Amino acid sequence: MSVFEGFRFRYIHSPIHQLDPRVKFLYVLIIFGIAIAFLEVLPLVLLFLIQIPFVLLASVQREWVRSLKGASFLAILIFVVNFAFGYFGGTYPSSMSPWEYPLAMSLRFLVLVESFSIFFLTTSPDHLSLALEQSHVPYEFCFAFTTAIRFVPVLAEEAQTIMDAQKARGLELERGNFIKRVKNYIPILIPLIVSAIRRSLELAEAMESRAWGATEKRTNLYLLKMKSADYALIIVSLGMLICSIYVRLYISVPSLTMLLT
Amino acid sequence: MAIIEAKNLTYTYPGGTQPAIKGVSLTIEKGDFVILTGPSGCGKTTLCRCFNGLIPHFYAGRLEGELKVAKLNVTESPIYEMACHVGLVFQNPENQLFALSVEKDVAFGLENLGMPRDEIRKRVDWALQMTDIEELRERAPHELSGGQQQRVAIACVLAMQPEVMVLDEPTSFLDPLGAQKIFEVISELNRQLGITVILVEHRLDLASKHANHVVIMDERTIVLDDKPREVFDSESARLIGVGIPKATKLWQMLRQNGIRLDRAPVNSEEAIQLLRGVLKRDRG
Repeated sequence: MSVFEGFRFRYIHSPIHQLDPRVKFLYVLIIFGIAIAFLEVLPLVLLFLIQIPFVLLASVQREWVRSLKGASFLAILIFVVNFAFGYFGGTYPSSMSPWEYPLAMSLRFLVLVESFSIFFLTTSPDHLSLALEQSHVPYEFCFAFTTAIRFVPVLAEEAQTIMDAQKARGLELERGNFIKRVKNYIPILIPLIVSAIRRSLELAEAMESRAWGATEKRTNLYLLKMKSADYALIIVSLGMLICSIYVRLYISVPSLTMLLT
Repeated sequence: MAIIEAKNLTYTYPGGTQPAIKGVSLTIEKGDFVILTGPSGCGKTTLCRCFNGLIPHFYAGRLEGELKVAKLNVTESPIYEMACHVGLVFQNPENQLFALSVEKDVAFGLENLGMPRDEIRKRVDWALQMTDIEELRERAPHELSGGQQQRVAIACVLAMQPEVMVLDEPTSFLDPLGAQKIFEVISELNRQLGITVILVEHRLDLASKHANHVVIMDERTIVLDDKPREVFDSESARLIGVGIPKATKLWQMLRQNGIRLDRAPVNSEEAIQLLRGVLKRDRG
């Protein structure tokens, strides 16, 4: 799943990585809101370009490009579907030619993917769970979240071992039609689930042995604190929001069709 | 002063037809380094689970008899209270680390206790230093080798500053070198900090030189409970099939062949000394 590739975390020391996840999330939400507010291609292109400095500053270009590549298939699909519906009797704003509206839709999707992938590429799961915790999400959920992430590589390795073991016993995974192939995976899934349940029991034992649930008021080793860079990002994002609201309300944004003709 | 006192301990797992341990009586002195060994399925793990209250609190079932650990009655104290006195390290290092960084994992127990942040930081630093893994602080558990993971697991338990540390076959997933490092770390904790150690282990060759007390279990109960020398040289230890240290075995073989040396060695260092002394004597 190449779409998810873009969401895998790799720790880098960069100013963007140091930012408070809550602030970054606010930024994502504002980008999200602005992208929804505009139907025209021009502001969406601007929105797309504005975020590129963030990517460069965080030096996650490679992963970012990969996640966009993964999303491009869906973007094309969105374009085709919108175009088809518009062409065969749907409605689209009269100032646009039939291709501009679908193009805006795909761009909007790409802007969303872009901002979310910046968020996930620069926020460690530990920080994310900390942000959740400090936003008063119950600790059990935050713990489940980080533990799930912690065990992804372990389970992947285990799945590989089971696959090898079953292949050594003569299981052929790549054989038959689609339904047969899905069925082929049952002998992989069952041992995987059984061992995951067994693992969870051992985990529970280890947690109990380390005073899980001793007090209601649990401390955390780390504490998120807002720094000047965080405030700067808040100001920038709010500024963008205010500008876009102003443009939306008082300035009519020309569509590409109007500009070209 | 006894830190663990078990009297006639019998326990059956829920749904079990026969007890997993029966009639276990055991006294362990403060500061002891105990090796607990015996064939698979003899009840070693069950006994370990009793020491920190996982039995009966986590596993339910019926625990009969009396068990006092660090002056606490196990059946009456909740697990989190026992956890401050008894640290339990498990066999599979992978399944006892749940955070995304070593530092966070070591802090986990202390966070649960709701300790102030400064105190947590101090103790984490100390535990990492004691187990010699300071350089792994920021790493994720899945990037570490089995031996490193197990040392992290020991640090996690150590950070809570327990009086007793119970290690249930901590080296069975490790290579001999990793195992040796673990034994050295544990022995250091035992000597420097006076932590009472209970080590469940099959590799007696490597472990026995650190121990001053050996307990052998078989068929769900304790069959031998004495100093290493007496236990390893006993007839029943051989019959049960315990992996007696090679040094002791050598001594026994020599004795069978009519060569009597004054006392049974329990590790290779002692054997070397003994043989050297004998050879010198013969030459001179």
